[in-house]
Amino acid sequence: MSDSASGSVDKSVQVKLVLLGEAAVGKSSVVLRFVSNEFQANKEPTIGAAFLTQKCRLEDRVLRYEIWDTAGQERFHSLAPMYYRNAQAAVVVYDVTKATSLEKAKSWVKELQRQANPNIVIALAGNKIDLVQPSVSSPGALSSSESEDEADDATATPGETPNFSGEEPESLRQVPREEAQAYATEAGLLFFETSAKTGEGVVDIFTEIAKKIPIEHILAATRGTARSGTGGRGTGQESGVNLEETVSNSKDGCNC
Amino acid sequence: MSTISTALRNFKEPTKEQLTQIFFSLPSVGSLDGTAKTSAQEVEKMDINAVLSLGVQGVEESYAGKLHIMSPYLAFTSLDRKSVRFTIPLSTIRRVERLNARAGIYALSLSTWHGQKIIVQLTSLRPTADLFCSLLRDALKIELQRGQMKLVKGFVKTCYSEALVSTTSTVADNEREDGSLISEEKADAAPRESTYHGGLGLRFKFPGDPKKLREASKIKLWTIYLREHGRNLTLLRYPQCTRLVQVGLPNRLRGEMWEVLSGSMYLRYSNPGFYEKLLDDNKGRTSTSTEDIEKDLHRSLPEYAGYQSEDGINALRRVLQAYSFKNPELGYCQAMNILAAAILIYMSEEQAFWLLEVLCDRLLPGYYAPSMHGTLLDQRVFESLVQRTLPIIHDHFQVVDVQLSVASLPWFLSLYINSMPMIFAFRIVDCFFCMGPKVLFQVGLMLGSPQAILKINGEKLLQIQDDGGFLNLMRDYFASLGDSAHPDSSDPRARAITKFQELLLVSFREFSVITDDMILSERRRFRSEIIHSIESFAKRSAIRNLKTLGRFSKDQAGLIYDALYKSMCIIPPPAATAPAPVLFNTNDGNEEKPETRIELRTFQYFLSEIATWARNEKIVMNGFQQRVDREIAEHEFIDRLFFFWDTSCRGALSFQDLVSGLDGVMFNDLMENIEWFFNMHDKNKDGFLTKDEVLTLSESFLFIFRYEVGDAYLGAVSRFMTNAFEYGDTLLPQSESENSNDGETSPRPQIESNQPYLNLATFRMVVLADEILESFFEADLSASFRLEPVPEMELPVSNSGLLGNLWSTIATDSNKKIFNTFTDEIGKTIGKHQVIHRPSIGRYTKLEEPKARESLLTPSMRKSPSKASLTGTSSTTTLVTSSSSSLAVDVKAEPAKALPTIPDSASFAPMVHAVNASLMERTPFAIDDAKDDEDESDDEFDDPDNDDQVMDEVDAFLEAHDSGLTDADKEVANDLLHAEPVK
Ligand SMILES: Nc1nc2c(ncn2[C@@H]2O[C@H](COP(=O)(O)OP(=O)(O)OP(=O)(O)O)[C@@H](O)[C@H]2O)c(=O)[nH]1
Ligand SMILES: [Mg+2]
Repeated sequence: MSDSASGSVDKSVQVKLVLLGEAAVGKSSVVLRFVSNEFQANKEPTIGAAFLTQKCRLEDRVLRYEIWDTAGQERFHSLAPMYYRNAQAAVVVYDVTKATSLEKAKSWVKELQRQANPNIVIALAGNKIDLVQPSVSSPGALSSSESEDEADDATATPGETPNFSGEEPESLRQVPREEAQAYATEAGLLFFETSAKTGEGVVDIFTEIAKKIPIEHILAATRGTARSGTGGRGTGQESGVNLEETVSNSKDGCNC
Repeated sequence: MSTISTALRNFKEPTKEQLTQIFFSLPSVGSLDGTAKTSAQEVEKMDINAVLSLGVQGVEESYAGKLHIMSPYLAFTSLDRKSVRFTIPLSTIRRVERLNARAGIYALSLSTWHGQKIIVQLTSLRPTADLFCSLLRDALKIELQRGQMKLVKGFVKTCYSEALVSTTSTVADNEREDGSLISEEKADAAPRESTYHGGLGLRFKFPGDPKKLREASKIKLWTIYLREHGRNLTLLRYPQCTRLVQVGLPNRLRGEMWEVLSGSMYLRYSNPGFYEKLLDDNKGRTSTSTEDIEKDLHRSLPEYAGYQSEDGINALRRVLQAYSFKNPELGYCQAMNILAAAILIYMSEEQAFWLLEVLCDRLLPGYYAPSMHGTLLDQRVFESLVQRTLPIIHDHFQVVDVQLSVASLPWFLSLYINSMPMIFAFRIVDCFFCMGPKVLFQVGLMLGSPQAILKINGEKLLQIQDDGGFLNLMRDYFASLGDSAHPDSSDPRARAITKFQELLLVSFREFSVITDDMILSERRRFRSEIIHSIESFAKRSAIRNLKTLGRFSKDQAGLIYDALYKSMCIIPPPAATAPAPVLFNTNDGNEEKPETRIELRTFQYFLSEIATWARNEKIVMNGFQQRVDREIAEHEFIDRLFFFWDTSCRGALSFQDLVSGLDGVMFNDLMENIEWFFNMHDKNKDGFLTKDEVLTLSESFLFIFRYEVGDAYLGAVSRFMTNAFEYGDTLLPQSESENSNDGETSPRPQIESNQPYLNLATFRMVVLADEILESFFEADLSASFRLEPVPEMELPVSNSGLLGNLWSTIATDSNKKIFNTFTDEIGKTIGKHQVIHRPSIGRYTKLEEPKARESLLTPSMRKSPSKASLTGTSSTTTLVTSSSSSLAVDVKAEPAKALPTIPDSASFAPMVHAVNASLMERTPFAIDDAKDDEDESDDEFDDPDNDDQVMDEVDAFLEAHDSGLTDADKEVANDLLHAEPVK
């Protein structure tokens, strides 16, 4: 694992990214989805912070995300600066089924804009949209995710805003898309609605961030070719589309 | 939205006595209100030199040490603090006999519930020994009366060790013991196995493979140990015990041993039924904590079968909730779920509850508090220990700007449970309970140890360029703990050694220099640094979280915050003492985050920091010193302001309310100020003051002007009143102008006294008619609010250790008060005592003749009204209700003669500071000489455990320990083993 130290991959640009947001909104799940394309129904709360990496190919360039996934509970707040210092990007996550989580997200944005690196690229992500989408497939099966891993998460995530089968999904929504979108525009943030469970929207966050990052700054010297996002969402060293292969670094989401 | 906590200010360094209690894992006195201990029945404490030997055949070692009686416990430790120690409840002592031995030897034989015979020879002087014995006798008597003795039997049955020992025990073993008591209990104690407490593991299996864990042989060894050296409440801890713990506790016994080693068993023992009752009493109660707990229930060791079942989840919920009810201020912190889930595998809910209490309270102090100060502090300590013991690593990390705590913080917070495979983490936890918090540091330090990990990882550690690389390396290492440490070795025994075993071995051997004592003193060293950084972080975020700063700059808002913070320290808002703020706005609504609000009393203090008229300042000169005594003023006007600013009508003000309130007055111009003042007195906000309100308003004037020198302001107020009523009357179309006849203001309450009377325009006119009032509203009012830097408050702890402690007790406020009173007295006797009130405004000193400005109605009163006549005007005029005893609140009399040159109030401050500073700098009395001695005796803690024996086989036995005894002493001790009781 020694290669994890420093610039072993010479071509790649390292981007430090931090995830912030209220407890249990799904920060770790979003990262896990991005890094290893998995979903775990019962993810242990993050203590302090967890660290993961993932590469992301954008055009001719490879970004190496160094992701700091932080703890959400309020009392861990004072530790956050330790993690967002020097971050070039931040994903602030809220839970679309929980209005207060957007408030918390806003206060994170405010803090980042005042305290963090001034060029930081911030994305706002409303997670858990799977809970508020009318089940795509009419057959009554609830929350029929494409069950990418073990089958045990096919049912509602326990301990979380429960997705009762009888419930009309849209009624669980507490944060209208428009409201969050309007806020994001006003505050100059990228905006996405995501589901770590189904994977929807997750990769987009990171590719859009990649496009917006002033890589030239980071790269400073190296080639300063122009970039235009032709949906370079792929990250694999060679395949342009899929994320799975790139877990080459074998950092799968174990808390450390 | 923010909470402001002054909790950190209340920290007190543990006293020596508390340290002793901590060493013996005793519950801190008064930590539980539920206990039967009444305060009247002062806990007796005494320690005495003693030599301990055991009435066990074959074990003939004796140890010199100290015997402590800390009712209701008896405790002993050998001088080296590790050869032997015990803490046993007095109620388990069934017989005490004075032994008949050689002349001049004073020895006692104590028989415990479990039939051990502990022989202690009291080596202090005879009278001391006598005193000790009589204390012991009394304490035992009390236990008997409390009925504690009867509880032992039932309690002991809840312990697995009893089942363990009894199943394999032969009757003969116990028959040797005399106690009629014992034999009769044993009859039914033995067979009932199912009564002992146990954890989820009994149902859902314990993690790990019992074969690999060598459960059977561990159980065997423990059975022998427990039978010989006592168990549960009466366990005697010899190095063998520590060693057995270091090779890993057997699963079934683990929970109970954690209880014993951590001392949580004493809490469970002395608080029967507490846990159940706590849950009952709080049934259905919700709080932010319960909400947070709910989120994490399914996220606690989810891979363990027990937590995939409702029973497991419910147990976890109950334990966490119970703790949050017990300690609402701490409530619930993520990571506690992991601890609780882990310990519940090995112990019952009740056991886990008490262990959690000990963890959060004593073993990991402040780790889970809302500010997490304990965590931050220990991270700082850890960093400093790395710097000390592994300078190369530390320097390298500095260079590449890697923060250690990004990795180490979760280790400490979750006792490594979250970071390495569970079976290994639990072994660290075993050692942690047995050997104390230093274990966390030792294990953490081994990460960079040149001898161990560095040999494997060291090169890599030095290649690390950033935080992430560091974390990855650590994670990989942790994941490989089960691998062989020497895979290439030809010796199968060496190959069998796992990296984990090596880790433990190395951490205890290499870092035996890390002692509890060192950690304590490092904590002391960094505490104020941490507190300051937490507080300044809190301050920054409070300011950032303000919805509006108004016209204030951030720095000014900071000054307001400082004043608020100080007032909260002095007069804590009641919320902090009663149910914690966390529990407040909980109506199922996460709508509102808890927010700190202050009540009127705190507000009064706050205002006195900011508004010159909200305090009574006496300048005292007594020939020795000049100082300013400041008191909070109380007046209806201040209350009025409080409610005026309480725009959301909660009876309490938030930081935001204060900022907005001050913003509403501090930037005002003349007209705005007049309006502000008017509105403040217009209670129903109808745009009119009633007559009563005009009076109140005048009183407010009088209050604000109460310390002005000369009659000028008094005159202005009286003119104001006259004019207000005359003008008001004439402007009222249908007013019966009956009270304007005699020219004397006689606002006897009329029928309309509470009806609309004076509108803003009229009020403004009356004010502008008077130069003094005009100037007051023009500038003085706004300027009377001053945002000045609050002098650094002294932290309760100072980093100079014991000396600091002493110093802060000397320099307490009350001592300063004594000093002041003292010098005042002298000053009085030598006729140099002078007291002057400092004016709040201090602009006009001479009585101003009303310069008939514009066309006001005839000033009917031109001479200054006597005080009497003023008070006559309204029954409620209480000028100052402060307790300034010696001084009459006589506005005119004092100042003129007292101080010809009243310094401009601004220039006072430095002088006051100088006075205070010189007071602070007085050399403390001779007490600090005592300091060094104290320190030295603490060093006895130092026990460089020779834990390198871990790797020895489990059955490695005691080597000869330095018992600190001469041969002659040993002989005596041996004699005692065979001595007969007196009489
Ligand atoms: N239905 C659904 N559940 C989700 C989604 N994302 C996360 N969850 C669930 O929400 C819970 C919390 O997810 P985490 O990823 O641990 O949340 P977190 O924000 O990292 O929480 P902290 O580490 O405590 O701050 C878990 O039980 C997840 O399974 C999602 O997109 N849809
Ligand atoms: Mg997380």
